[in-house]
Amino acid sequence: MKIKPLLSMPIPPKTHTNRRNAQRSTGPKSGRGKLASSQNSRKHGLNVQVDFESSGVYAHIKRLVSQEVFSSFMAADIATSLLNYRRVMDAYYDAYTRSKPVSNYLWNVNLVEFQSALMELSIGTPATAANVRSSTRLIGRLQRNEHRQGRPVVRRTVDCHKLIRYQRNAISRLSKAIRPA
Amino acid sequence: MKSSAKSIATLLPTPRLLPNESEAEFQSSLQGLLSEFETPSPLNIALVIQLNECLWWIKRHTVDKELLLHESMAVILTRSADFPQSYDNRLVSMPLEGFLAGNASEEDNLWIDDLLEGAKLTVSDLRARGFKSAAKDIKMADDLIHRQYQTMRHLQKSIDTVDFKSRLIKRMDLELADLENKALAIDANPS
Repeated sequence: MKIKPLLSMPIPPKTHTNRRNAQRSTGPKSGRGKLASSQNSRKHGLNVQVDFESSGVYAHIKRLVSQEVFSSFMAADIATSLLNYRRVMDAYYDAYTRSKPVSNYLWNVNLVEFQSALMELSIGTPATAANVRSSTRLIGRLQRNEHRQGRPVVRRTVDCHKLIRYQRNAISRLSKAIRPA
Repeated sequence: MKSSAKSIATLLPTPRLLPNESEAEFQSSLQGLLSEFETPSPLNIALVIQLNECLWWIKRHTVDKELLLHESMAVILTRSADFPQSYDNRLVSMPLEGFLAGNASEEDNLWIDDLLEGAKLTVSDLRARGFKSAAKDIKMADDLIHRQYQTMRHLQKSIDTVDFKSRLIKRMDLELADLENKALAIDANPS
C-alpha cells in the first residue's frame, strides 16, 4: 500500500496565523474613531480583569457552595462566575439608570435666533462676524450630536444594548461552571 | 440549612430596583419562585434571585419598547401639526399617552382626534408609521428582552442541575441507610 507523503512545509502554529491576521485587522482609521474607541473600556469597566479570588466574599461563597454537592474546584469556579455575573448586571443597571441626560437647551435651541442674538451681543466687542458664525456652527454640531443620541428611552436602550455580549459571556460562564460538559 | 441559604444571598450584591419600583413586589415575586422548591439550597436561592431580576428586566424593557413607539408617534403628530419640538414632546406625548391608554380627558381626546384628522391619519396608520420610524430602536429593545429570556433559560438549567444533584445525593443517602438497616437486620438474626 502506498502511503501518501506528508506536506513538505510544516504547518505554522495557530499563534503565528493569529498574529499575521491581526496585522491586517481593521480598527478605527480616523482620529475621531480612534478617540471614541480609546474610551471604550472606560465607560463600564467590564473589560478590566478583576481578581475575585482575593476578596473575602469569594471565600465565603466558595465555602458555602462546596458544602453542597460540588467539588472544591467547581465551587471556586461557581463563586467566581457568580461574582462576575453580578458585576455585569450591576454595570447593566448603571447603564440603564445613568445614561447621558438630554440637554434641553441644545435640543431646542434655534440656530438662526442664536446667531442673531450672538451678533447683537458682539457689537462693540473684538468678536468678528466670522467668530459668531463659527460659534453657531459649533452649537449646530453639538445639537446634531444631541439629536443623534436620541431621547432618554433611546439612550438607555442603546447603552444597555452595548452590554449584551458581556451578559451573554457571564451567564454562559456561570452555566458552564455549574453544568460542566 | 436555612441560615446558610440566606447568607449566600446576602453575600452577593443584591439586584437594585428603580426608584419607582416596589421592593415588596420584587420580594413577593421572588417568594413565588422559591415556593416551587421544597428545600432550596443556598446556590439555588442565589440563582433564583438572578432569575427574578431577569423577569424584572423583561418588564422594564417591554415598557420601554412601548414608550419608544409612543414617542415616535408623538414626534410624527408634532411634526404634522407644526408644533415646536422639544426633546420629550410633552405637548403631544402626554395627551397621546392618555389617548392610547383610554384614560385621557374629553378635551385631550378631541384634541388628539383633531391632530389625527389634520395629519390625515388613523390611529393604526400613526402606529404603523411610528413603528417604521422607530424600528431600529425597537429592535434593540427586542434584543434586550430576548437576551433576558436566554439568560433565564441558562439559569433554569443551572437550577435544575443543582436540584437534581441534591436529590441524587439525598436518594443515595436513603439507599445507604436502607442497606445499613438491612445489614443490621442480618446481623441481629443470624440464621
